[in-house]
Amino acid sequence: MESTTHTQLYGYMGKLLRVDLTKQKVSFEEIKPEVLKEFIGGVGYGARLLYDELPAGINPLSPESKIVFATGPFTSYQVPGGGSIEICFKSPLTQGWGEARSGGDFGPDMKKTGYDFLVIEGKATEPVYLLIDDNRIEFKDASSLVGKTVSEKTRMIREELAEQDISIACIGIAGENLVNIASVMFGGRAAGRSGAGAVMGSKNLIAIAVKGSGKVKPVHSEKYKAALKEMRQVIKDSEVAAGFREFGTMGDMAGNDAAGDWPTKNWQANNWGKGQALYDHYEKHNFIKNEMCYKGCPIACGRIAQVKEGPFKTPQHAGAEYESLSAFTAFIFNENMDAAVHSSYLCNEYGIDTISTGAVIAFAMECFENGLISQEDAEGLDLTWGNADVLPLLIEKISKREGVGKLLADGVSKAAKKIGKNAQQFAIHCKGLEGAAHDPRSGKALAVTYGTANRGMCHIHPLEGMAYDSGKIDWGMIPYGVPDPNTLDRWDEKGKGKIVKILQDGLIMPDVLGVCKFFMYAGITLEHYAKLLSALTGWQLEGKDLVKIGERISNLQRLFNLREGFTKKDDDLPDRAKQRPLFGAYRDEDRCIIKDYEGMLREYYEARGWDEETGIPKKEKLLELGLQDK
Amino acid sequence: MKIKVKLYTILKKYAKGKMLENDTIILNKGTTMKGLAHSLNIQDNLGLIFLVNDFPKDKEYSLNEGEEVKIFSK
Repeated sequence: MESTTHTQLYGYMGKLLRVDLTKQKVSFEEIKPEVLKEFIGGVGYGARLLYDELPAGINPLSPESKIVFATGPFTSYQVPGGGSIEICFKSPLTQGWGEARSGGDFGPDMKKTGYDFLVIEGKATEPVYLLIDDNRIEFKDASSLVGKTVSEKTRMIREELAEQDISIACIGIAGENLVNIASVMFGGRAAGRSGAGAVMGSKNLIAIAVKGSGKVKPVHSEKYKAALKEMRQVIKDSEVAAGFREFGTMGDMAGNDAAGDWPTKNWQANNWGKGQALYDHYEKHNFIKNEMCYKGCPIACGRIAQVKEGPFKTPQHAGAEYESLSAFTAFIFNENMDAAVHSSYLCNEYGIDTISTGAVIAFAMECFENGLISQEDAEGLDLTWGNADVLPLLIEKISKREGVGKLLADGVSKAAKKIGKNAQQFAIHCKGLEGAAHDPRSGKALAVTYGTANRGMCHIHPLEGMAYDSGKIDWGMIPYGVPDPNTLDRWDEKGKGKIVKILQDGLIMPDVLGVCKFFMYAGITLEHYAKLLSALTGWQLEGKDLVKIGERISNLQRLFNLREGFTKKDDDLPDRAKQRPLFGAYRDEDRCIIKDYEGMLREYYEARGWDEETGIPKKEKLLELGLQDK
Repeated sequence: MKIKVKLYTILKKYAKGKMLENDTIILNKGTTMKGLAHSLNIQDNLGLIFLVNDFPKDKEYSLNEGEEVKIFSK
């Protein structure tokens, strides 16, 4: 990578805002361009910052812990997908690398306040919320917000500030109660995974409101505009983008079910055969309209949904996406879509991750069936598979850590340890993060991405493996060594380890640059991003440079986990996710069974330049990536 | 031979003008799933998933009279 000489840092606001809640003081730091060139922003800069500043073994819910709100150079209303914010932290759920992303206006609006990164540390003595209005930064009393729902908190803050459009990040009651699967909410959108809401709650930080007027100046304005124009044309011509707009992520439900990519009944099967019927009900009875999660999104895959009447009556709200509704249908064997929409809505109001909540309820139902959770343990709640009636109360109990909810509030891994006996076999997770609504028995690359993703069995990073194998999407990664997916069978195992390494290094970049990953689904490539970033910053970058930066960041997050005590065994998959489905259309399909996961993992380690026995990056690899001092 | 074909979400548009009554289509004997997709002008890059009588089949599978095909895009 070469660099042109500029005295000014282009493409960034150039500053980091550090907030000490204990002392109620703020400080400002200039960002070093040489660090940005290596880690760019988002989960890259966040990884560098947390690796350098958090001591190994720190309690993520202690005042000494830190949480980073990170934008990237593309976080902007102008850039397709640029309505994006990344939160980086040590996860209280996994005790390892934690990150969570949300779409919405918060990212661009935070950047307009003049800061690319916001670092929160310490702990307020009383509940507070933070107001950042350009240079005006205030700690505001939040005692009246405690115990309120997310929409109530959002409304109350806007009324107090007399700012109806101000962007707000807040926690719900789950975050206040340090529930390890608590999310940070941005209106109806969630940074859901890994427990960021609990970290905010541990600091007595209830919300952050941002409003600003700053602008980022590209170094080459005309080239920047031309690159944006080219990207917008790709989106306009994309059939995938049109599909997202028309059907949302929910449009994948039937296809994923058919592909064996729909974990059902706590992963007992990868197909149910009810995906189309559930989608049809959703489209006819629940779907109201699509929406942009941030101002100007050219895809607008977001959904507004409701339940008009009945026991699960639910007002119109944003959310009701594929992952959430799969968690409250297939995961728990529930055929009542109204109940699923209602449950997703409740999770967002309580500020709790829909995926982990559905997963932990599925776990509880299987424990209940097998006598590991008794009727008495469940306080009389009937945790029979598919019992939709129990969902609202159970979600509330988890969010408030009440009764059986106390057992389930910290996710499946910790709940299984508390229950003991053979409960661990029903706890479907990697590294402590509950599995998402994609199944590696639909394509073997997904197995490796699930096992090796730094934050665990998440729904974002493993997308590249899933879409490559069963979706035959090459992500524009063929120039960097990935074979055409149409030349491989989705169930082939040989070669997938190497492929996953390259895909991960490229596909981490949306979360580094500050854009929504769906735009790469729709045809935007790393070459588009390199061209745009070069015009924005003056750095002379090509797609291959972004792959190398992605590799550096993937390795640094890996080092973060290793420092916290993770080992090769944490790269394994739950047995159930590898085995023959117990029912469904793939029950007799031998090819879907994962036969040699160890072999795929060994191939992946070799491609990564990691020790094949331990999974630790070799010295020469760290030297190559400039991480030798880590 | 007569085959029943159902297309879903973004694939629905490919059925227009090509289907007979009851979502049926006439194909030559031995037509594969891949051949069916081509005859409907469905692009190769849409990650197609085929079910025949509700069971997964590869794109090389040769269809038989009276079978019901569902095609999804991933």
